[in-house]
Amino acid sequence: MMLRVGHYLNQFFAGIGGEQSANLPPESREGPVGPGRMLQNLLKNEGVVVSTLICGDNFFNEHTDEARAAVRNWLDGLRPDLVVAGPAFAAGRYGVACVEVCRLADGLGIAAVTGLHPENPGLLVYKKAYVVPTGDSATAMVPALTSMLKIGRRLAAGDPVGPAEVEGYLPRGIRRPGVREHNGADRAAEILVAKLGGRPFRTEIPVDKYEAVPPAPPIPDLRRAKIGVVTTGAIVPKGNPDHLKRCSETRWVQYQFDGRDRLRPDQFECVHGGFFNLPASENPNLVLPLDVLREMEHQGAFAELLDSYFTTTGNDQRLIDCKRNGAEIAAALRAQGVGGVLLVAT
Amino acid sequence: MAVISALPPLAMQAGANRVVQGVKIEHVCGDPALPPEADRDLRRRIVAQALRALETEVQQPTVMQPA
Repeated sequence: MMLRVGHYLNQFFAGIGGEQSANLPPESREGPVGPGRMLQNLLKNEGVVVSTLICGDNFFNEHTDEARAAVRNWLDGLRPDLVVAGPAFAAGRYGVACVEVCRLADGLGIAAVTGLHPENPGLLVYKKAYVVPTGDSATAMVPALTSMLKIGRRLAAGDPVGPAEVEGYLPRGIRRPGVREHNGADRAAEILVAKLGGRPFRTEIPVDKYEAVPPAPPIPDLRRAKIGVVTTGAIVPKGNPDHLKRCSETRWVQYQFDGRDRLRPDQFECVHGGFFNLPASENPNLVLPLDVLREMEHQGAFAELLDSYFTTTGNDQRLIDCKRNGAEIAAALRAQGVGGVLLVAT
Repeated sequence: MAVISALPPLAMQAGANRVVQGVKIEHVCGDPALPPEADRDLRRRIVAQALRALETEVQQPTVMQPA
């Protein structure tokens, strides 16, 4: 099969210019440009770099919609078998553009691959992109293009691609069932022995790293503040009308208190699947302390309790969903005039 | 925001800055083994501490015990 390859480059690698040309709008050229010639050499007579799309890094990041439309048009007109973006090495804006190009190609069912340094922020744009790890500068161009092509050929041919650690691309956060030679207990013991012995080992379940959060300033006068309450404890109206999941939930929900002065077990229940939830179903105030919050509201400890609450199931929830849920709930609380939040974490 | 948690080290690891010690995972804000009035009093102390936490300046993840 003769591969028709489309190549994406920024202004710098296209040889147009550095930062002074970073506002260049997208333009396409026939055939390979700059590192595209190296790409063509590596392809030998297996394929042809038919077209190159060039865009300034600032343009791509500042006029994102326009840049996306240009990429889509280019892909639509060209319909290549494979898109090669970059590699962008450690260049942040270029990395974002390259991964965005991969995402758009994916949307059109076109195979795409890029190459980035593992700390390039472009990796956060689209987790499902096939990204090959590269060095941090253009001196690593040939090895980068070589490993990009290795994956790219397989993607273009529709061949199954194995796990990241075997194939050499960066993990895409996808787990598939498979068969291992040794059972889990043996493998875990082996990892533990290696760890205790100070030998290198590789975890099978990498833990996402959390980020430090700058503390919010204190509330100057609680008696004038509207208070909201949130819980990861999956407290829902009896019957669980929105089918909040017992674990691995991706959503949050908001429910009304409707002026109630406590949560009654015939009206609310706990559907969290990660702990023994009977006590919380028998008395939901044990997780969502509405009874004492109302009492304090009446005593004037704070101005007002938001007459609704937010909940999700904090059980095996992916960090990416936690972050999104947190941001969305925070935005909703702010929109509803809340100045202080109590989060009950189960 | 103040987080009420039975496991403050986890809350702090996740980046929570105002953490109030709760009772147990199953009943963070109270104890069903106590007589109802004592349970409610415990809940009152936990929530009152969380409200105080909102008024407290912190520089880094900090755990507060209900008074």
